[in-house]
Amino acid sequence: MTRPVAILIAALGGEGGGVLTDWLVEAATAEGLPVQKTSIPGVAQRTGATTYYVEIYPDRDAPLDDGAPVLGLYPSPGGIDLMVASELVEAGRAMEMGFVTPDRTTLVASSHRIYAIGEKTALGDGLIDHSRIVRAAGTLAKRPILSDFAALAREQGTVINAVILGAIAEADILPVGAERLEAAIRAGGVAVEASLRGFNAGRASVRGEGPKATAAPARPRALSASGLEAQLQAEFPAACHAILGEGLRRVIDFQDPAYGALYLDRMQRILAQEQTLGTAGGEFPLTRETGRYLALWMAYQDVIRVADQKSRPDRLTAVRAEVGAKADEPVRISEFLKPGIEEIVSVLPAGLGRTVRRWAARSERARQLHFTMRLRTDSISGYLRLRLLAGLRGWRRRSLRFEEEQAGIGRWLELIERAGRIGPDFAMQVAELARLIKGYGDTHERGRANFELLIGGIVEPALTGQGPTDPARALADGIAAALADDKGTALHQALETTGEASGDGSRRNVA
Amino acid sequence: MERSFAREVEKLKLGDGELFEGEGILAITKALLQSGVSYVGGYQGAPVSHLIDVMADARSILDDMGIHFEACPNEAAAAAMCAASINYPMRGAVVWKSTVGTNVASDALSNLASAGVKGGTLIILGEDYGEGASIIQERSHAFAMKSQMWLMDPRPHHPTMVRLTEQAFELSEASGTPVMMEFRIRACHVHGRFRTSDNKRPAISRNDLLSEPDFDYERICLPPSTYTQEQDKVKRRFPAAVDLVRDHKLNEIFAGASDDVGIVMQGGLYNSVIRALQQLGLADAFGRTDIPLYVLNVTYPLVPDEVAGFCAGKRAVLVVEEGQPAFLEDALHALLRKADLNTTLVGKDVLPMAGEYTAEVLLNGLVAFLEGAVPDGIELAPLGAEVARIARIKAEAAELLGAPMPKRPPGFCTGCPERPVFSAIKLLERDMGRIHVAADIGCHTFSTLAPFNIGNSVLGYGLGLASSTAVGPAFDKRVISIMGDGGFWHNGLTSGVTSAVFNKNDSILLIMNNGYTSATGQQYIPSTGKNFANEPTGQDIEHALRGVGVKWLKTITTYRVGEMKKALKEAMTTKLPGLKVIIAESECQLARQRRIKPLIRKQLAAGKRVVRTRFGVDENVCTGDHACIRLSGCPSLTVKPSSDPLRRDPVAHVDQSCVGCGLCGEVADAAVLCPSFYRAEIVQNPGLGDRLLAAVRRRVIGWLTPKSPNAAQAS
Repeated sequence: MTRPVAILIAALGGEGGGVLTDWLVEAATAEGLPVQKTSIPGVAQRTGATTYYVEIYPDRDAPLDDGAPVLGLYPSPGGIDLMVASELVEAGRAMEMGFVTPDRTTLVASSHRIYAIGEKTALGDGLIDHSRIVRAAGTLAKRPILSDFAALAREQGTVINAVILGAIAEADILPVGAERLEAAIRAGGVAVEASLRGFNAGRASVRGEGPKATAAPARPRALSASGLEAQLQAEFPAACHAILGEGLRRVIDFQDPAYGALYLDRMQRILAQEQTLGTAGGEFPLTRETGRYLALWMAYQDVIRVADQKSRPDRLTAVRAEVGAKADEPVRISEFLKPGIEEIVSVLPAGLGRTVRRWAARSERARQLHFTMRLRTDSISGYLRLRLLAGLRGWRRRSLRFEEEQAGIGRWLELIERAGRIGPDFAMQVAELARLIKGYGDTHERGRANFELLIGGIVEPALTGQGPTDPARALADGIAAALADDKGTALHQALETTGEASGDGSRRNVA
Repeated sequence: MERSFAREVEKLKLGDGELFEGEGILAITKALLQSGVSYVGGYQGAPVSHLIDVMADARSILDDMGIHFEACPNEAAAAAMCAASINYPMRGAVVWKSTVGTNVASDALSNLASAGVKGGTLIILGEDYGEGASIIQERSHAFAMKSQMWLMDPRPHHPTMVRLTEQAFELSEASGTPVMMEFRIRACHVHGRFRTSDNKRPAISRNDLLSEPDFDYERICLPPSTYTQEQDKVKRRFPAAVDLVRDHKLNEIFAGASDDVGIVMQGGLYNSVIRALQQLGLADAFGRTDIPLYVLNVTYPLVPDEVAGFCAGKRAVLVVEEGQPAFLEDALHALLRKADLNTTLVGKDVLPMAGEYTAEVLLNGLVAFLEGAVPDGIELAPLGAEVARIARIKAEAAELLGAPMPKRPPGFCTGCPERPVFSAIKLLERDMGRIHVAADIGCHTFSTLAPFNIGNSVLGYGLGLASSTAVGPAFDKRVISIMGDGGFWHNGLTSGVTSAVFNKNDSILLIMNNGYTSATGQQYIPSTGKNFANEPTGQDIEHALRGVGVKWLKTITTYRVGEMKKALKEAMTTKLPGLKVIIAESECQLARQRRIKPLIRKQLAAGKRVVRTRFGVDENVCTGDHACIRLSGCPSLTVKPSSDPLRRDPVAHVDQSCVGCGLCGEVADAAVLCPSFYRAEIVQNPGLGDRLLAAVRRRVIGWLTPKSPNAAQAS
């Protein structure tokens, strides 16, 4: 029995899913085939996910009016011939709903990601593991055609729908030929040339022609044979070279070579401990991860650092590329800096800084005080101000913030060492704790506060034998809870649970 | 408006025997013109907005035929238009989204149904139920029953939908009763074709005027007329309707070989039932079926002898009726009992009581029915196998994917002017603690979703302020109500503002004034400044507010987050009692982009200087906390994996869809977030001055840039 060819298109708002559907209908109509389409636009057309459903009856002799085939309005799981997804998670969603099956579904999906709101608002890394979707497509589709069609569209200066139509044409699954689809684009009459470029690029990509994506994963830079990098190479195991090398360069860039030497000294102690613990396989995870977070902490983001980063020689080039400015187009750059009392205190010398902070603590207005700085980095005066701020680098060693950060780092490293005596897993989690310290202003304060809460609530009790039975697990859960929301709700719950659990434990000890 | 319907308007002109191709709702629009309507009105809302939009653009055709078109302020006004058909033989149609619109219209509808009509009166309902619906889930069916109006639910097939629309007017006239006709979302948007006939000029119209008004107390909804009207409904109108439905065969019966069973369905579900039968090998591509089908294109009233005729001699019949309560199933039970038939009736016991009947739901229900009924000549084993196969596929997919895919709810568009208002409320809550927010219907309802989660209740269109009146006095701080400009004119001005001033409510109202009813496709409203015919109207929100006695009133540009927060804080803390209103004003960004994009293209092509604004994030300054996203949620503000090998967390990133609305900078500033945002203004087609200045700056900055080894090792 002849059955309709069922096409389901999953797209996001603004990607031209409706136009893509119109092209298919136009091509089928021109071919003289019964065709039907429907959609659920509604409010989904704003930014949400939306679907279009098309059925084409592949028999040119079928009547079009009286006695025409009855076409469906809903996609059926297990009944889709062509599944189109304009983004990878939408392909995953289609598979989830049973619309991709090995017996009949050709899956044409763009492999790029448009992150969902839940992935974007996470306090840490909320991105889903997209490699699983790619693997699932390989298993579930009769023929998976996955490629970064969004990148192709950008290259061709068109919208993704045209590129996808090209991929569909080349997949050769519809009862209409590529020339019909091309004619449908022409008949549409809107941005015809750009769409045809995209269409042809889409076809070429499925044929395996055209430029291949060559973005190889970034290789760590090789270590230099002299100075501190040579010392790092000589004294640390190979498994740590990449991260520690990056860390070493980072802290020198932040301050000076002497600061780099301090970094290596600090890491020596962690390495020595890990060697005595003897972790498996020569991977030295504790040294590597501590090295990662130590470098980030030592190169903390103060106003001097930010001013420096915003007035680097390569920054203007990066901004121009990012915003797509042509060579002859001047770009004006405005920065949104708003230092408050804490930022100012942090670059003052320790003694003076403490005095000012004490004064500020007495006044609500002082605490709220912020200086809005709308700097124009492309102007001479704006740039000069940034360079002057950045020039305070030499001064930094005498600042209150520097003193406080070094004390904090020292305490953290000591906790890692002490945790190591309980177990390598626990030490790893204490190292991981530094992940919470990031951001600026309130964000930074919240991170520090959570860091302290977890030290007080889990790490310290564990080190004195009062803590939970599995402190590594409890701390890992605590870190996850701290990153679960920015109100501290999950963290307080987690700490209460741990508190109760360890409370029971201590009572048992007493008994 | 969101788009131009010039092409669609052309389709409305087609004549005898020509071919119409297009959306379902446009086919209905054409059918109205073929039916000789004197007036058309309604209120926009998915999935029937296009009917209004096309009519608004089809002014020349309507004028030519003398048809009156009215863009109504709300559904009550639209329903009230139908009063024209009470006294005069004028055909007319009104349209809205149901059930919300029907709720608003119900006062007028009850009175209309009681008085009865002389001219055919059709109420077209966009039945927004199930997947993709944006409203509460209810059925329109109850309205038909309680007011004794007839409800049609045509099979989604263009020729059938058009024929039934035309017949709906005959049904209405034969029974003196308004007819409701519901179309589900997919039917409204289904693309199909039919042979048109000539448009019919109405007998009474703007071109053929009435001179003598009709007075008939029998038509007035006061006693004793109301008692007579109710008797008339039962004794004359109902039987007349049943007769016409039967005699003109509005319902359809499709015969099948296995006639010991059968399926009764709402017309709108016909295609899905056929698809399920096809999937089970029980029907062919052309709808020839093994199982007899009874398609109810009219779901109220039912035709008792037709029902009995279909069910007689069948062991079991399946009722396919979407949504709850199961009005049809219960009615069919009663009819079988009265006809003394012992056919087993199966319905909500194999199909879900609530929720949309998708292809998969119907397949499962159908198989369960057939397995229970065991019809002659149908092999049952392959049916169960098909259900099992689909379950297996989904289980395998779930296992391979490992975790559910992240949800992608709708949200504010890129650059939406309403987003900054909610950023300001979030910041205000940092200072003042959580605030009760009475939300409303409109794009701004998206504030209840991530990342804002602002809005404690939504009670209906324009009812934001009214829904705060009892909860407000119970709070230790003022509550904030929200209303869109659409909701304000829909009924918020009277039910909310006027009442709050009258009752001296001490609360705060935020009116989102973006210039259009934007969620339904940017239709014009009084404060747009012009009507559908582009005539200036001279109406605005501020004057309306002053007119009803609002004293504390501020108008703030929405993108100014700091100012908005300050105004809100002042409204929260001022000693002044009474209603405080803030008009949050900025044009809908979708409309704005559509307006300015062609202009900019033209300017660029002409070599004129154009400054393009975009925001960006310095990747090495961002530490990956994403507080900015939690305060914005703009689609163009996203994340990307950090290219810094030391950092684990993805960093914020502004993608190329940024329209440079400025919110990122405002939020970074007002919330004292982080210094990683920058605003870039790209000067396109720069003049000589621009180029010279840039060259000088580049040169001097080059001298100032250090070449120290530290800086060269940029991270």
